[in-house]
Amino acid sequence: MTGVARTPASRAKAQAQGVPTEALGTFGRYAGPATLILSSLAEGEKHGYALTKDIEEFAGVRLAPGTLYEALSRLEGQRLIEALESHDRRRPYRLTSVGAAALKEHLATQRRVADIGLRRLSGHWGLV
Amino acid sequence: MTISGSETARRAERMLRWYPQSWRARYGEEFTELLTAELLERPRSWRRPANVAWSGLFARLTSAGLTGHTLEPSDQVRANLASLGCALAVFLAFGTAMWSQLTIGWQWAQPSTIGTSVAMMTMSAVLLLFVIIGILAIIPVAWNVLTRLAQRRAPELVRPSVLFCLGIVMLVVGARHFGNGWPGTGGHHWTHQGLIPGGVAAFLWALTLSISSYWAHPGALLGFPGAEVAWMVASPVAMMCVVVGATKIVRRLDMAPALLRYEALLGAVASLAMAAFLIGCCSWIVDGGPGPRNLFHAGVIDIAGLATMTAAVAVAFRTTLGERRVGPKFHLS
Repeated sequence: MTGVARTPASRAKAQAQGVPTEALGTFGRYAGPATLILSSLAEGEKHGYALTKDIEEFAGVRLAPGTLYEALSRLEGQRLIEALESHDRRRPYRLTSVGAAALKEHLATQRRVADIGLRRLSGHWGLV
Repeated sequence: MTISGSETARRAERMLRWYPQSWRARYGEEFTELLTAELLERPRSWRRPANVAWSGLFARLTSAGLTGHTLEPSDQVRANLASLGCALAVFLAFGTAMWSQLTIGWQWAQPSTIGTSVAMMTMSAVLLLFVIIGILAIIPVAWNVLTRLAQRRAPELVRPSVLFCLGIVMLVVGARHFGNGWPGTGGHHWTHQGLIPGGVAAFLWALTLSISSYWAHPGALLGFPGAEVAWMVASPVAMMCVVVGATKIVRRLDMAPALLRYEALLGAVASLAMAAFLIGCCSWIVDGGPGPRNLFHAGVIDIAGLATMTAAVAVAFRTTLGERRVGPKFHLS
């Protein structure tokens, strides 16, 4: 999973919503893990291990610890997620409103690409 | 926690060492918790340590400002300056070692080809430029450090400052002493042929005596005086003290935005100077051949030095470009 280039229209819409236009575009090979993390946090706050288990459950992908924390630190740096206070050593993270808007924008782009791909598969290959 | 649990926690803490200190301070505890849980769930995995090692090294490169992941503007500039300083130190060590050999050759016989003459003059001029850049860069930073230390406002600068000064003293005293063995002297009638003052050439030759192909010939090395071999071992340690001390000072010193911009500008000039010096080195190696015509025949150590210097120039340009990327956002109060 990689970042998908935005159209000028979607870029303008994202800017109007206060989403950094390159919110996930600058993540490079961490765009995939970042999307999975944001999608997991969309349900509610979670700490590292809970994120790993949830992502494994809904996406079938087990994020390695180093990859998970590299993506978490980038997401936190971009203010897409925030760390919460914790009484134990496991620190939970929460999606910010900017992060929610960035995720929505990113997933909408991916959905457009997926829709086009499926439509073409259906039209030219007869696969439904 | 069971015994196996505490052993697992220790394994997790050991893996954490791959990461830089600043990263450990921020994420260390929670990351160790995650690793402990992962280790208890899946004790055996070759991918996990590999992933942690790679991510840790990547985090170190990021904290050094060498990845595309930009830090806070002031941190980014400081990280870039520190990385540039390290690259410059490596470059100068190898470059000066190569150049000082050529000064000996010039002392014995002037090169008969334009390529080598121009190469030597270029390298000598660039080295002089490095001295000027170094002085211009050090004075304001040293003033800042000294005033803060005098006002007891920066205890975190004491140790790196001591380390830096210790390294400098070791290098100056050692190079002054061992410079007496410079092969460019010896009372020969042709010693007046030097391109630069003999004292300077001897000092820089002794300073970089450790960068030598003799390490690959232990038999020959055993014939050296013990003190000289000890200096060849000790001088890189002293250089490391200088580089580590300077790097920590740059990372820890709270510099004004104007000073950071000034240092970044000097860094960009230094990067260009490194490229010019490298061109000089290449010119000598391409023009080279055996015999006095080209001062010295380029050997394996020179080719290895050239490869190392090329890598250092690449790092320097990477950091310079990193500063340019930060530039527009760089409005620090």
